[in-house]
Amino acid sequence: MTINNTLIKVDRLEKSFGKVEVLKGVDLEIKKGEVVVIIGPSGCGKSTFLRTLNLLEEPTGGHIYFEGTDITSPKTNINLHRQKIGMVFQQFNLFPHMTVLRNMTIAPMKLLKLSKEEAEKRAMELLERVGLADRASSYPSQLSGGQKQRVAIVRALCMQPEVMLFDEPTSALDPEMVGEVLEVMKSLANDGMTMAVVTHEMGFAREVADRVLFIDQGIIMEQGAPDEVFSNPKSPRLKDFLSKVIV
Amino acid sequence: MSFFKELYEIEWIAEFCDKFKLNFIDGNRWKWLLDGLINTLKITFFAVLLGIAIGVIIAIIRSTYDKNRTSLKKRGGLGYIILGILNAVCKLYLTVIRGTPVVVQLLIMYFIIFVSVSDGTLVAIIAFGINSGAYVAEIFRSGIMAIDNGQFEAGRSLGFNYIQTMIYIVVPQMFKVVLPTLCNEFIVLLKETSVAGYVGIADLTKAGDLIRGRTFSAYMPLIAVALIYLVIVMLFTWLVGKLERRLRNSDH
Repeated sequence: MTINNTLIKVDRLEKSFGKVEVLKGVDLEIKKGEVVVIIGPSGCGKSTFLRTLNLLEEPTGGHIYFEGTDITSPKTNINLHRQKIGMVFQQFNLFPHMTVLRNMTIAPMKLLKLSKEEAEKRAMELLERVGLADRASSYPSQLSGGQKQRVAIVRALCMQPEVMLFDEPTSALDPEMVGEVLEVMKSLANDGMTMAVVTHEMGFAREVADRVLFIDQGIIMEQGAPDEVFSNPKSPRLKDFLSKVIV
Repeated sequence: MSFFKELYEIEWIAEFCDKFKLNFIDGNRWKWLLDGLINTLKITFFAVLLGIAIGVIIAIIRSTYDKNRTSLKKRGGLGYIILGILNAVCKLYLTVIRGTPVVVQLLIMYFIIFVSVSDGTLVAIIAFGINSGAYVAEIFRSGIMAIDNGQFEAGRSLGFNYIQTMIYIVVPQMFKVVLPTLCNEFIVLLKETSVAGYVGIADLTKAGDLIRGRTFSAYMPLIAVALIYLVIVMLFTWLVGKLERRLRNSDH
């Protein structure tokens, strides 16, 4: 495995909140273009793990290398690296005081120093792609949940990130809106975007993932190709988990 | 004309008119009120600006310290020390300003700190601005704390640093949250400037009092002063209400 091929390398990552150890030494490599889906019971630390990847949670031990740079080092300017790590949240977190277009253009304009025209052109192309070009001048509160999440995805894409992190992107959606968001994520995966997705959508994991990670008790308990993990689980914990989530 | 003449023959109306003439028309005394009003508005306006500026800075320092204390402490270094000192200075400022009466602060400013400055209005602006800043800072801090943490995270995840996230994302939303409380603070400030007379500034209240001293008739000038304050506050409240509705419309 060459270093060029590895986008993110996680080395014995630990995170505790006070005395509670949430992550107890997680090792992982994510290659360029790979789609990694992270599953696990609630409270197992899968969201915490995803959030440490862009240091929204500061790890209490271990290292994370992004494109070969140790981003956990205090000397690293994390803001520059976060520009290349897009993130989509369960609660969308769109900026309510800005239009959809402004939500998407503010970061490229302020951080990448794009002109207004360039940023808006980029944003409109992306909105076109997710079928929301007509909502460019709307405010987030005027959108449905599914529309909000699609905007949140393209907002992150506007920075042209190297990798996209999805933190339970469909968990806050009404059931009929889950599909439209998963469609966007699928097309993104097909375009070769590197993705790390925490989700409860097992269908999505099976269909889109290159690799499925099962996190439990603060470690990666099992991982492999989706077929392998879903059809032939080895650990009793995973068997138990799958029996509860797959109907 | 005869109608007015008849009215003038009713005793209390005649007295009212005489008093009115004595207090406001004779010697152009209405101009005292007008000049006083202009002074009051001038002091209030610039003190509000100063208060907001101080308030935003202190609120950002204090909430930055509260939010990042643990992570900065772990990393250590100069940033943590500087932020710690700034936070301590802010806390001291809040304690002193909120712990002493505004009149005393004004007197200290005028007779001790700025004793060489001859422009009393300027001293009053500084004194009231510094005083208001302490209250505004806490109003803004509560506004910042009311913004969902997801907004910070979304800003940071796009690559904004802490200050950029504050400026572009949190502070604009904060203003909407705190608008009613902020309006309250400005009403208080406007009325607090009525103690400016203590340091010889002819503000609205002082002007009314000067007229009273000259005409020996208290009723007319003091009620007039009260009415002017009332009208300004009502006007201001109405304007803020309009602004609030506009802000609401923009995202609903």
